[in-house]
Amino acid sequence: MASGGAAGPGLAFELSVPFPTSLLAWTALGSLGPDPEPRKGGILKELDVTENVLHARWRADEARILRVSISSFLDHLSLVVETMDLFGPVA
Amino acid sequence: MPVVIGFEGSANKIGVGIVRDGEVLSNPRRTYVTPPGQGFLPSDTARHHRSCILAVLQEALHEAGLKPSDIDAVAFTKGPGMGAPLVTVAVVARTVAQLWGKPLLGVNHCVGHIEMGRLVTGAQNPTVLYVSGGNTQVIAYSERRYRIFGETIDIAVGNCLDRFARVLKISNDPSPGYNIEQMAKKGQKLVELPYTVKGMDVSFSGILSHIEDVAHRMLATKECTPEDLCFSLQETLFAMLVEITERAMAHTGSHEALIVGGVGCNERLQEMMGIMCQERGAKLFATDERFCIDNGAMIAQAGWEMFRSGQVTSLEDSWITQRYRTDEVEVTWRD
Repeated sequence: MASGGAAGPGLAFELSVPFPTSLLAWTALGSLGPDPEPRKGGILKELDVTENVLHARWRADEARILRVSISSFLDHLSLVVETMDLFGPVA
Repeated sequence: MPVVIGFEGSANKIGVGIVRDGEVLSNPRRTYVTPPGQGFLPSDTARHHRSCILAVLQEALHEAGLKPSDIDAVAFTKGPGMGAPLVTVAVVARTVAQLWGKPLLGVNHCVGHIEMGRLVTGAQNPTVLYVSGGNTQVIAYSERRYRIFGETIDIAVGNCLDRFARVLKISNDPSPGYNIEQMAKKGQKLVELPYTVKGMDVSFSGILSHIEDVAHRMLATKECTPEDLCFSLQETLFAMLVEITERAMAHTGSHEALIVGGVGCNERLQEMMGIMCQERGAKLFATDERFCIDNGAMIAQAGWEMFRSGQVTSLEDSWITQRYRTDEVEVTWRD
C-alpha cells in the first residue's frame, strides 16, 4: 500500500513489527493502511505483511516530514496493539 | 434486530454509542477541555482521544450489557472533521471490526446529526438547522440527498462563539458556548454588531473580528459588560440563523424545523426558532445536550440506517476525509 507523492532518493526508514499470528499482522495492516499521508508529496510510505510481520518503509525528502510520519504511525500502531490486547483472541 | 456500535471523534469529543433498532443502549462520551483562552489543536485532541477511547468503548459495551459477539456492524465517522482525531478513532473502529469479523460503516458526521435528531424527536421530514463548532448549514431532504440550502461562507457559528469566549477568557468547561449562554442571560444592553446574511448564506468572521476589536475598549471604558457582549453576540448570530432557516422553510413549504449540532442545545436559539416556527404554523424539534453535542450513538444510528439499506464500507474505502459535504452522501434509506 503506497501513499503520498513521489519522494526523491533522500532519506529512508524501515520498521518490522512482529505479531503473535499472521492474522493479527494482517489486521494491523488493515487498520493502518487505508489512510493516505496527510501531506501531499515529499513522503512515500509502504506497508506490507510477510507471515506474522508487518513491514513499514518510508522514503522522504526531509527529516522533519519523515519524523512526523513515523511518529504518528507509532502512535496508531500502539493503539492497534492495545485494542488487540483488550478485544483480540486470547493468546 | 441489528445492533450497531458507533465511534465519533471528529472534534474534541470522543464518544462510543450502541443502538439497536432505534433504541440507544449506551452512549458514553469524554470531552477534551482546554484552559480558558485556548482552543483545541489537532495533535493534542488526537492524544486525548487515544488515551481514553478504549475505556469509553469498554464502558459502552458494559453499559449496554453486550458482548462484542452481539454487535452486527461497526460505524465510525469518516468525516468531516480534524484529521488526526478522525484517524485515531478510525484505527480503533477498523481494528475491532476485523477482530470481531463485523462489517464497517463509514458515516458522514453531519448525516449522523440529522439521523439522530430525527430519531430522538420523531420529526418526519424537517428543514434542518445544523449548527456546531465546525459546521453551519440549513438542510432539507430531496431526492435521496440532504441538500444544503444555505451555509456559512467562512467560519461556523460555534467557532465564532468559541473564539469570542477565548477573547474574554471564558471557561471552556463544560463548553464555551454553555458559559456564554449563562452570561448572556444577565445581559442588559444590546451592542450593535454587523449583521451579515448573504442570500441564503451567512458570514461570521467579520462579526468576530469586529467584536474582538471593540470588546476590550468597551469593557475598559465600562460602555458595556461582558454579559452584554455575550447577549448581543448571541442575539445577532441567532437572528441570522433564524432568518435563513425561515427562508428555506418558505421555499420548501416545510412545517417542521429541526435543530441539531452542539450549538443546538442553546435554549435561546431554540426559543428564537420556536417563535419563528409558531408564527409560520410550523413545529420545532430540538434535542438536549446528550444528543445535540457530538456522540457515538448518532454515528451508530446513521450507520444503522446505512446497514439496513444494504450499505457497507470496505476496509480500502474506509480512509478518513477532513472535507465531506452533507450532500455527497446518497441517502439510500429514505424515499
